[in-house]
Amino acid sequence: MTKSEFLLQLKNELKKNNISDLDDVLNEYEQHFAFKLADGFSEEEIAAKLGNPSELASQFIPDTSQKKYGGRKTVTIIGMIFANIFTGAFFLMLFIFAAVMGVVTVTSGVIGICLIGGYNIYNLIPGMPYLCAIIYAVSLLSFAILSAAACLYFVVFTRQLMRSYKRFHINVMAASAGKATLPSLPVYPLLSAKFKRRLRMLALSSLTVFAVTLVLGYIISAILAGNLEFWHVWGWFVK
Amino acid sequence: MNTQYKKGVLELCVMSILKRRDCYGYEISEYLSKHIDIADGTVYPILRKLKSDGLVTTYLSEDSGGPPRKYYSLTALGFETYEADKKEYLNFAKIVETLLEDEDYDKK
Repeated sequence: MTKSEFLLQLKNELKKNNISDLDDVLNEYEQHFAFKLADGFSEEEIAAKLGNPSELASQFIPDTSQKKYGGRKTVTIIGMIFANIFTGAFFLMLFIFAAVMGVVTVTSGVIGICLIGGYNIYNLIPGMPYLCAIIYAVSLLSFAILSAAACLYFVVFTRQLMRSYKRFHINVMAASAGKATLPSLPVYPLLSAKFKRRLRMLALSSLTVFAVTLVLGYIISAILAGNLEFWHVWGWFVK
Repeated sequence: MNTQYKKGVLELCVMSILKRRDCYGYEISEYLSKHIDIADGTVYPILRKLKSDGLVTTYLSEDSGGPPRKYYSLTALGFETYEADKKEYLNFAKIVETLLEDEDYDKK
């Protein structure tokens, strides 16, 4: 078979199989001939090595194995709408939780700074000796760091969860339309080992400092006030 | 060998070549037919399928002054799919190998 015979046969077979972009396909085979001819092969040899045109043409037919789900598209869409309502509510809850964690972080940070600086806006912070204030400030600031680390991980986790759900959503729709699906994404965030290690270190050390200073603060307060329930001595919680 | 099965494995091989660098169709065909006994023309349907699945993209490039060549390049999705499929295939191959090597374990 010569080059033109091969290409003509291939073209006819492709047409028979309703393959789109005929020229695109034929172009590749033409180029193949060009390369091989340049290497000194004859047209017959090249055509023989390329394979049978009708067999090749049949390999261009897209896989139909996934198409059998086609008729269920409407059902899938309705199902996904309900699924989206529930997951939407679920994600909203996660967002609110993240926001609460953020507020807790900022608040404890601000109160800590107020204690160190001695600012007492509207007398919101109960009175105490400055030594105790410093200890409680360190305690609050380390709690803020702990909370910030937790918040960061939570946000990253939520983001990955949403991406994973989005991929799942796309795949379900694609499968119902008989299109190829993408590989699913993991639910947990893929963080580098270094980042995870650092975050864990940060969380653990701030937790330790928080716990130690809290206990220390209580002990020192109790000693300075001369009473285990020091808050009565300093007149806290009394209007 | 079963052609349908072979096709899946060949897809993986093509992706492994494209993972290293972008190639034009002929390069891939040459490389594969050097190692595997397949008809030279089989690679092009595979490339087209990979493209329609969004695993590879193509672009034209005129190097060495000749006519523009169509280069194939692995997409991000292609990389992802390749890594997943590769793991799956190697696991599967390992199990098959163990089974085949062990075929006469009843006789022991």
